[in-house]
Amino acid sequence: MEEEFKKEARRQYLHYFRFWFLGIGILAVACVVMLVLDRTRQVPRTNQEAPKERVYDYADVLTDSEEADLREYIAKMEGKLHIDIVLVTFSQSVEGADAGQVTLGPSPGGGEVREQYDLRSADWEQNMQDLADDFWDRNRFGYNEGFEGDGVLLLHNWYEGQNGEHLSTSGRVEERFSLYDIDEVLYAVDEYYDTDPYRAYRAYVEEVCRRMDDSLSLPFSWGLVVVLPIIVAAFYAISGASQKKAENTVAVNAYVAGGRPEIRNKEDSLIRRNVVTRKIETDSGGGSGGGHSGGGGHHTSSGGASHGGGSHRH
Amino acid sequence: MYCPYCESEGSEERAEGQTGALTLCPNCGGEVEVREHTSATQCPYCDSYLIFNERVEGRFSPRMLIPFQMGKESCKSSLREKFRKCRFSPTDFLSEARLNGMQGYYVPYWFYDYKTVCNYQGEGTKVRVWRSGDKEYTETSVFAIERGMDMDFEKIPVDASEQMPDDVMDLLAPFQYGQLVDFKPEYLSGFYGEKYNMPAGEVEYRAMALMKEDAARLLRESYAGYNTVRTVREDISVRDSRASYGLLPVWKYIYRYKEQDYAFYVNGQTGKIVGTAPFSRAKFLAYTGTLWGCLTVALALLEILLGLL
Repeated sequence: MEEEFKKEARRQYLHYFRFWFLGIGILAVACVVMLVLDRTRQVPRTNQEAPKERVYDYADVLTDSEEADLREYIAKMEGKLHIDIVLVTFSQSVEGADAGQVTLGPSPGGGEVREQYDLRSADWEQNMQDLADDFWDRNRFGYNEGFEGDGVLLLHNWYEGQNGEHLSTSGRVEERFSLYDIDEVLYAVDEYYDTDPYRAYRAYVEEVCRRMDDSLSLPFSWGLVVVLPIIVAAFYAISGASQKKAENTVAVNAYVAGGRPEIRNKEDSLIRRNVVTRKIETDSGGGSGGGHSGGGGHHTSSGGASHGGGSHRH
Repeated sequence: MYCPYCESEGSEERAEGQTGALTLCPNCGGEVEVREHTSATQCPYCDSYLIFNERVEGRFSPRMLIPFQMGKESCKSSLREKFRKCRFSPTDFLSEARLNGMQGYYVPYWFYDYKTVCNYQGEGTKVRVWRSGDKEYTETSVFAIERGMDMDFEKIPVDASEQMPDDVMDLLAPFQYGQLVDFKPEYLSGFYGEKYNMPAGEVEYRAMALMKEDAARLLRESYAGYNTVRTVREDISVRDSRASYGLLPVWKYIYRYKEQDYAFYVNGQTGKIVGTAPFSRAKFLAYTGTLWGCLTVALALLEILLGLL
C-alpha cells in the first residue's frame, strides 16, 4: 500500500510539473540550436588596415592591468556587435591662441610613433571634435571599412582646466546615435571619471554596447532572474499552505420567520443642522516640460568622412 | 481480544471517550461497544446496523429529521473537488481507500424558537459636501433614530452532541428546513446516530447569542445610510421561547497523518464541507523547490535564447 502511494505521489508530481519540464526542454533545445547557428553566422572583420590597439592611454590614467582588462572587454564586445570601440586619453591644451598643435603618442607603454594633429580653431569643443575625428580617420578605424566604417571613439582630455570628453561616432553608430544617446554615454563616463577612470571607460564601452545591441532580452536583469523565482515560489508556498476551515454562510435573516422582521416603528427626526463654509485655496502654479531631440551631431571631418558626436566639458 | 476501535489486542485499556457498555450484535452475536449516547451504530464484525429503540423513544424521540440527501459517493466527489487545489496535502489524503472510511451520522440538535421585541434609539449624522464658486460647503444634519421591530426566530440549531465540535457544527449550517420530516427510526438504518447528550437548557446560551447577534445586525441594517451613528438604547427582549429536538445529517471523515487526526465534516443535506487539509512538509518542499528551480532555469534559458536571437 505504502509503495503504491509513493508511486502515485511520483505520478502526481510529474503530471503537475509536466508543462514546466516540457517547456524547459524545448527552451534548452532552442538554446543549443541558436548557439550552433550563432557560431555559423559570425560576421568576419573586413577592415584590416586599422591597428589592433584600442586603448590609447596617453594621459596615463590607467594601470597596465586596467588597460589589459579594457582591451579584452572591448575585443569581446567588438566580436559581438561588429563595431570598433576606441579609447584615447591625453593631456594637452586644445583651447585658446596657444593651442596650435597636439602631439599624440607614444603612449607610456610605448610602441606607437608620435603623430602631430593640427588644431584649426581656438574653441575647445571644435578642437576636441576635430582631434577625435582625425585620430579615427588617420588610423582608419571601422569594423567593416577604413573610411566611414562602423565604430565609436572616446577622446578624453585630462589637461587641467580643459578636462572633458568628446565622443566621435561613425558608420552604423553614427546612424544609430542621437544627441541624446551621445549625452547618455558621456554621462556614464562623467559619473566615475574623477574617482575611478577605469570604471568610467568600462561604463563608456557598456553604454555604447547596450545602445547598439539589437538582441532581444527579458525586461529585467540577471539579478531578477535569481530573485523573481524566489518571490514567485514564496507566493506559491503561501497560497498553497493557507486554507480556511469554512466560511460562515448563514444569512443574517436565515432563522427569521418570513425572512424579515416586522417593523412597528421607524422614525428619523431632524434634531439640528449646521453648515460650515471653507474657501478653496487654488494653486495657480504652472509647469514646463522638457525633452531632447536627436540629430547625433552630424558633421564632416577634415578627411571628408561623415562623423557624429558630442562633448562634455567639466 | 481485538478492539476494532483502538485496534489494540489483549489490552484492557480503553480509548479516550469510550465509556460505553458492550452489547451483542443480534445478527452475528459479536460484541459491539455502545457509548453512552449512541442510538444507532454498526457492528464491526458483520457490518449490520443496530438501532437502540430506548434511545429514540419517549423523551429521546426526535420530533423531526432531515434525511441524508448526499450519498457517500457524491460526498467523496465534493471532498475531492474542494481539496483538489490543496497541493501540499498527502497523496493518499483523498484516496478511495481512505475515503471509504467515511461515516454518516445523525447528529442530535436542539432547535430554538424565539419571539422577540427589539427597540432601538440612537443619534445619526448625515454629512453633505458641495462646492459653489471658490467655496466649499459642509452640511451636517443630526437625526434622532427610533426603531421598533418584532422578530420571530425559528429553529435556531444548536448541536447537542459532545463528540461533535461546536464551531464545526455551526459552520456546517445552514440546513434547508423545507426537507424536514417527522422522525421514524427507519431513517437511522445505515447510519450512526446519537440521542441528545445534554438537555435543551444547557446549550441554549449558544442559540441566544446567535439570536441576539442577528437581531442587532437586522436593527443596524434598518438605520443604514447615516455617516455616523451613536447608540442611545438598544433592547432585545424575548417574549416567548420554545425548544424542540431533531436530527441532522452529517458525514464525517477522519484522516490520520503523522500521528494526528484530521476531521472533515460534510453537511449531509447541502454538501457543505468543514475542515482543513493536512500539510505534507515533504510535498511542500518538493513542489516549492521544483517550481523555484523550473522558474529560474526557464528564465535563464529565455534570457540566453533572446540574447542569441
